[in-house]
This record gives sequence, structure tokens and C-alpha cells, in this order.
Amino acid sequence: MNKAIIAKEFTEIVRDGRAIVLFGIVGLLLLLGLVTGFSTESTRSQTVFDAKVADAEVFNAQGAKNPHSAAHFSRMAHKPVAPFSAFDPGVSAYVGQVVWLEGHYRNPAMFRAAEDATELGRLENFSLAGVLILIIPLLVILLGYGSIAKEREQGTLRQIISSGTSLRSLLLGKFITVFSISFAFLVFSIVLAAVTSLFVFEASSQPLTDLFLRSVSLLFVYGLYTAFVTATTLFISAIVQEAKNSLLILLGLWTVMVVSLPRLSASIAEKVYPSPQSSEFWEAMDVRLSENRLDSSSAEYVAAERVVIERAFGKKLTESEIENLAINTRGVRLEVSEVIDSEIYTAAYAELFKNYANQKNFRRLLSIFSPTIALQHLSQAFSGTDVNAHEHFSNEAERQRNKIVRVLNEELIINDSGENLRYLAPPEFWETVPEFEYEYPALEIAWRQSGADFFIVLAWALFSTVGMFWLGKGRLEV
Amino acid sequence: MRELLLAQNLTKKFKSNSALCDLNLTVRESEILCLLGANGAGKTTTINLFLGFLKPTSGKAFVDGLDVCENLNEVRKKLAYVPEQVSLYPSLTGLENLDYFVKLSLNNRLGKAELQNLLDRVGLNKSAANKRVNGYSKGMRQKVGLAISLAKNAQALLLDEPLSGLDPSAANEFTTILRNLADQGTAVLMATHDLFRAREIADRIGIMKSGSLVKDLSPTSVDQSTLEEIYLQQMRDTELV
Ligand SMILES: Nc1ncnc2c1ncn2[C@@H]1O[C@H](COP(=O)(O)OP(=O)(O)OP(=O)(O)O)[C@@H](O)[C@H]1O
Ligand SMILES: [Mg+2]
Repeated sequence: MNKAIIAKEFTEIVRDGRAIVLFGIVGLLLLLGLVTGFSTESTRSQTVFDAKVADAEVFNAQGAKNPHSAAHFSRMAHKPVAPFSAFDPGVSAYVGQVVWLEGHYRNPAMFRAAEDATELGRLENFSLAGVLILIIPLLVILLGYGSIAKEREQGTLRQIISSGTSLRSLLLGKFITVFSISFAFLVFSIVLAAVTSLFVFEASSQPLTDLFLRSVSLLFVYGLYTAFVTATTLFISAIVQEAKNSLLILLGLWTVMVVSLPRLSASIAEKVYPSPQSSEFWEAMDVRLSENRLDSSSAEYVAAERVVIERAFGKKLTESEIENLAINTRGVRLEVSEVIDSEIYTAAYAELFKNYANQKNFRRLLSIFSPTIALQHLSQAFSGTDVNAHEHFSNEAERQRNKIVRVLNEELIINDSGENLRYLAPPEFWETVPEFEYEYPALEIAWRQSGADFFIVLAWALFSTVGMFWLGKGRLEV
Repeated sequence: MRELLLAQNLTKKFKSNSALCDLNLTVRESEILCLLGANGAGKTTTINLFLGFLKPTSGKAFVDGLDVCENLNEVRKKLAYVPEQVSLYPSLTGLENLDYFVKLSLNNRLGKAELQNLLDRVGLNKSAANKRVNGYSKGMRQKVGLAISLAKNAQALLLDEPLSGLDPSAANEFTTILRNLADQGTAVLMATHDLFRAREIADRIGIMKSGSLVKDLSPTSVDQSTLEEIYLQQMRDTELV
């Protein structure tokens, strides 16, 4: 019985020229999203890759130079293009791709671009994900608004019902039809994005299984969202008397739930938890850093000094051994302040990211009114382009900075003595400074961070589907 | 004789307007009941109540002993129905429309030859059957509607002006089919304005007025002109009311 309904629905769609035009337009928009995403991301990828190569060359070819000047001279942490950033660039456009790993300072990768993009803009990029989120609901609405209402209007609904077919089977048949067409577009988009990223971003060496699992995860959550839109569309179509009212109501819902609320939620979240301006952030940082400076005679300072020296020599040292060492005291002081400041940087950046997390939670709260918000979070998370992924990069870059600065300082501590910075490291030394090899956090972590968003989308999908079938059971007038 | 269709004090009000008022009627197996009555007399409403498309304000409708309201799905499986206006899917052919509704009502499919055979019986030839319905005349649609109802082999047929729009030979053909079905046990309730046909095929003729059955005649007991006279008499009374 369901097979008959589905087959008939498809025949009608195939014979309806308008539906074919609609599919053409949707396909075209998706391709446009794909091409835009890829041209942006492959440029970004190439830029980062070139910069990385150039940076390494320059650093390694410094010749004889004092390690501390080197600490102010070069070394960048380059963020490789995220696994699915061409599909959903997420916050990529608003955060920096490169962190300058400088002595004394934890430089941001974040603020530069945020200054010329409002929080409002944070969620809207023209990309495949952006097009899917807007267009798939519209496609479902156009395919489904009349599915019951039009049959009721024409009188065919009564003929179907009189045949002994329940409204529920009719709804199920229509649901399967509309859902599978939209799902086919999802599969088409995500597979295309995965395959293209395989060819375009060879450099970022994505393991195939990771790419596959990300595709499946994306397909899964977009599928749930599509189920929600389909069930809601059929629900509305079943309760109104005329197809044109159904279309009107659904377009209204689309405007509110798909277009307006996600944007509104982003700007409200920014109002409630304002992101600090770059200048404020650094002024506050300076205050905190200077408050945290230790007196060089304090016990804490002496203890820190000891740790730094022992680390440089790679062994435990007695008090007298330390006194007899020929070391560069300036180098020791540099490294001690590095260790002490690092706590402040870690805390301040953690607060900054906490604020972004608060914004995200706030937007999540608003997904009581629209699952689109939660879907955007999931899409970015599985694409590796959300704020969490950026936080991971930022922390890894900081770790690398600590590592490099320590290597440079220790070179100074061990090979020079006295107060001055006269020591010149040999040209071969630079090659021994470790390279930054960044790996994106595993998909599993994105899933763990996305539990709430996932359940929101799941709940919407379940409620709307159950609601639709409940209608089919109830005594809806035919 | 089983009472396949039974209305007991069936009443249906639309807001303050009473469409049916304490209607009592019975159609037994192998019986054809023709309902006559002016526009708005309540014929379509009666049929809709048997199908469960409407809920009665009071009273009950039974199909083969089952209360319609409580057994919607079983009841609908026992009934076949031709609506006042047959609606079909315009982008499908007549044959495809028939195929679709047959699949829905029989839960399995008939072969193409069997489907065409049904259409032949109601007078829709092969070339017409393979055209899309959006080019059909009213009569052609009506024929597809009749074929749909015949395919179901239902215990009771509810026909709302089934002959309207049919050419005379198709109408003749269909009345013969109905007679044969009734002879095999099907109960037929048919609303019509055609006194001539009604007298020709009915076992009983019911005249409805303002939602009640005001006359229940046997066609053998009246000739054509008497029937017309009785009918017009009833209608005049309506106007007085
Ligand atoms: N959905 C409805 N809403 C309100 N009133 C209705 C509705 N359907 C029917 N009626 C009223 O019920 C009464 C009976 O209508 P019904 O359609 O049963 O008449 P009928 O005998 O089939 O007439 P016709 O010969 O024109 O087909 C009429 O007064 C009509 O206006
Ligand atoms: Mg009528």
C-alpha cells in the first residue's frame, strides 16, 4: 500500500515540470555553495601552506644569531584547513589562521578578523552548509505543503480514505517521498564535499576513515533536521483546509525558524555575553601580568628559578652545584617570567573561550524555538570549524610557543654566562627547534562536545514525527 | 436478508442548519435503493455519514452491523464509493488512476489487462484510458470513478449521482452492471435525480425531503408518470414549507 503511494507521488513529481525546475534550482544553489566554499578554503589552505614553508625556511636560515632575538623574530603556528571547512567554514572566516609564537606574548589568532565582522555575521557564510540549512527546508515545504491539503481540496483525500487506507499510511507514504528526495540532495552535497576535499586538500592529509565518519555524522544530523521539517510540513498540510494556507503558514515558519531566529539568537547571545574588544582584552592582560610578577627575592621566585635551571640541564641539582654553574642569568630570568606569565595567559584565554561557550549555551537555549540553531552548532562541530576547534588550536599553539621559547632560552642559559645576551647560536641550531605539527581534535571529541545540540535536534525530529502520526490516528476531518 | 446499510434516527446538523433529521433507512443485500430528493435534501450527507466522513449529531449508521463511528477502517473496507464529483490525479492517465486506487483498496494489484477490462465495462476505451486525466471530459472521469468502485468488489456500493455526465449507452451499460452486482448480493445505495433510471433499476425508491425519508416506494407499484407526480407533489410541499 505504501509502495503504491510512494510510486504515485514520484510519478506525479516527475511529470510536474515545476518540480523538475525546482530540483534544478536547488542543485545549482548547492553547487554554487560548494564552489564558493572550495575557492575560499583552497585559497586559505594554499596561503597557510605557503606561509608555513616560507616561515620554516626563513627561521632555519637565520645563520648565527642570539636565541632571544630569534624568539622575537619568527616562528608561526599555522592552522591547517579543517576537515570539512569547505562544507561549513564555521568561524574560520572570523578567526585568524596563524599565531605568531613570540617570546613574552601569547598572541591572538582571534581578534583581528572579529573586529571587522559582527557576531551576527559569525554564522552566515555562503557555503554548502549555509545553502543546505536555508534551502532544504524550502524544498521540503514546496514539495510537501499541498501533500494532504491539496488532496483534500481536490476531493481525492476522501476517495483514498474510502478505499480503507488510513490517513496514517498516507502520511507515511508522503513522508517517505518528500524525505527521500531531500535526503538525496543531502547525500549529493555531503559526498561531493567529502570527495572534493579529498582532492583539493591533499596537503592536510586527512585519514579516509575520519572523513567518512564526519560525512556520516553530518548526514545523520542533517537527516534528523530534514525529518523534522518534513513532519512539520505534513502536519500543517494535514490540519489546514486549503493548500495555499498551508504554504503561507509554512513560509512564515521558515522565515522565523530558519532565517530569523538563528541570526537573532547570535546577536542576542553577543549582547548578553559580549566578546571583549581586542584593546580591552590586552589592557586587562597587562594589568594581570604585572600584578602577577614576583619579587626576585621571594621564595616562590627562587623555587621557579630552580625548576627552570634543573630543566635546562635535565637533572636534579644541589644548591651549591647551581651556584657554581656558569649560566646566563638573563636567560634564566627570561624563562622564569615565561613560566609565570604562562599561567595568566592560560587563565585569560580560558575565560575568553568560556565567554564563547556561554554564548553558545545561550543560543542553545533559544533552540527551544528552532532546531536550526542546534543544527548549525552540530554542522560546525563535525566540520571542525567551531569555536571549540579553534580553542584547541589556540591551546596547542600556546603549548608550542612555550616549547620553542624554552628551547631558545635554554640554549642561552647553557651556552652563555653572565648578564648579557651576547651568545650567538650556530646556524645548525635552528633546525633543532621543533616544528609545529597540528592535528585536529578527533571527531569523537566533537561528538562529546555536541551532546546537547544533538539531543535538541533529535527531540525536535521525534516530537514532530510523533505529532504527525498522532494526527493520522486522530479523527482528522477528511 | 442481511441489512448491509442501516440508518437509525440519523441526524446531522451543520451549525443551526439540519441537513438530516431522524433519518431511518435500510438497504439489504441484493437490494438497490435509489434516493430521490431536491437539491439540499440530504442525499450526499447520508452517504458521507455511512462513510464516516462526517460524524452524526445524533443517531447511528451501521454497515453490516458495525457502528460506523467505532469501526471506521473495517467499515470502509466493506464499502465502495463514487463521489458526487469524481476527483482524479490530472497528471496520471485514467488507467494509472484506476491502478492507484485499486492498489489502495485491494492491497494488491491487478494486471493491466484486468484494469483495462474494468474500464471497458464502464465504457472507457483503451486509447482514452491511456490519456492523462487533465484532458478528460466529465463523463470520462465519471467512468473512471465507476471502475474504481467496481474493482473493489465491496459488499455495499454508495453512489452519489453516478450516472451524471454519462452518455446514454454508458448509462445503460452501468445500470446493467449494477443490476448484476445486486443479483450477486451487493447492496446499492444510489442518490440520483433521474426518475426514469431510478424506476428502471431500483428495488425501492426513497424520496427525501429536508433530511428525512418521506416516501418509500416499490417501483413495481408505480408507473413512470405516477412516480413523477408523487415526486413533484413532495417538492411542492417543500416549497410551501
Ligand atoms: N459541509 C457542510 N457545511 C454546512 N452545510 C452543509 C455541508 N454539507 C451539506 N450542508 C447542508 O446540508 C444540507 C444537505 O446537503 P446535501 O449535500 O446532503 O444535499 P443533497 O441532497 O446531496 O443535494 P444535491 O442534490 O444538490 O446533491 C444542505 O442544506 C446543505 O446546505
Ligand atoms: Mg448531493
